[in-house]
Amino acid sequence: MSDLAAVSSYWLLFAKGLGTTIWISWLALLIGSVVGGILAHLRLVPARPVRAVVVGYVELFRSIPPLMLFFGSYYGVSYALGLNLSPFVAATVALSLHASSMMSEVIRGGLQSVDSGQWAAGRASGMTNLQILSLVVWPQSFRVALPPAVGVYIATLKDTAVASVIGYVELTRSGLIVRENTGSSFLVFVIIAAMYFVVCYAISQLGAYWERRFRIVGHK
Amino acid sequence: MYEFNLAALKGYIAALPPALAATVWLSLLAIVCSLALGIVLALMRTNTNRLLRIVGGTYVEVLRNVPLLIIIYLFFFGLPAVGLRLSGWQTSFLALTFASAAYMAEIVRGGLAGVGPGQYEAARSQGMGAFQLYGYVVLPQVIRIAYAPFGNMCVAIVLGSSLASVVGVEEVTTWMHSAGSGSFRYLEAFTVAALAYVVLAQAINGLRIATGRWLLRHRNPGAPL
Repeated sequence: MSDLAAVSSYWLLFAKGLGTTIWISWLALLIGSVVGGILAHLRLVPARPVRAVVVGYVELFRSIPPLMLFFGSYYGVSYALGLNLSPFVAATVALSLHASSMMSEVIRGGLQSVDSGQWAAGRASGMTNLQILSLVVWPQSFRVALPPAVGVYIATLKDTAVASVIGYVELTRSGLIVRENTGSSFLVFVIIAAMYFVVCYAISQLGAYWERRFRIVGHK
Repeated sequence: MYEFNLAALKGYIAALPPALAATVWLSLLAIVCSLALGIVLALMRTNTNRLLRIVGGTYVEVLRNVPLLIIIYLFFFGLPAVGLRLSGWQTSFLALTFASAAYMAEIVRGGLAGVGPGQYEAARSQGMGAFQLYGYVVLPQVIRIAYAPFGNMCVAIVLGSSLASVVGVEEVTTWMHSAGSGSFRYLEAFTVAALAYVVLAQAINGLRIATGRWLLRHRNPGAPL
């Protein structure tokens, strides 16, 4: 019981840690979506070399464990370029690299779900490619890409825990700090696990609601 | 200008094959055990018994929504406090297996959901027993649906195994960190380790695609899946 009192006196650190976790996960999602979106559209380009570079990027960063990306962007860059990135910048870079490769696949799936007849119909109506994209393709692909995009966000949020190994003080690092100060390991990690669970579960429920709401009749 | 020099890693290269073997071995064991546990969980979630459904469903939801690293820390730092001391390897194997089983359960459940009730009725009306029903009718269809997400899950497990380095398991990520900081050639060590993971992941992808071709070899091209 004294354990609980000791650990709960650190509630502010837990709360700050959770805030930091959510903030950096959003930042990584935002950068990942923009970069991933650009990559997904580049895969529609007819030029083969362009598509090959995009496929290479996506396959590369999907195949490297997030922990290695954290190590690489934190230690690798500092050893190689003598450039000392802060844990925050290194973590954002690592998370964004991984998230952008996953997001690119999600957005590509959305774009490809739009039948080629829609493109043909757009051209036949005298629309430019940009008009077809923004008025015909995007609104339809959005509904397909949204549920898996929520999955990518949850994966990214869980990956932020790994940022603790390069010393970025988010929720997991806060837990390690409280553990050192109170010596109460089991309780601390149960609390941290519960906090991650509540956030991720709430987001997944929101995603499930959107999936029902935006379901396309006859799709899947 | 930074000079990329792989030769600087010479003294560390001998430690790479055992590290690679550790990554492969840990991943392989976790894949097999999480699949077995995942099948049990999927059968619980589709069971007529309500209690089993609730237990299976709760397991899947909790383990899918907590980061693997937290499960590793909970086992490694938390369990000794309640009297159970696990080694780094045991910790990462168990955490990886328990976390992945939740995803495996969903993959198996998705496969089972793809087999309509008509299939069961048709098999029973042909006089098939449980063994024939599952062996000849249900399982082949489940495999056709589940092999692709299973392949992706195997890649995810290989990537997840890198977290074993946090609790001191000598695998590829540990090798990279010690070779990189020992030789002051971190970027080179990163490149070699990244190459190892990319080769592993692409090998699994290749297997997955080949399996798909083999499973669907009798299907007419262009027929709906």
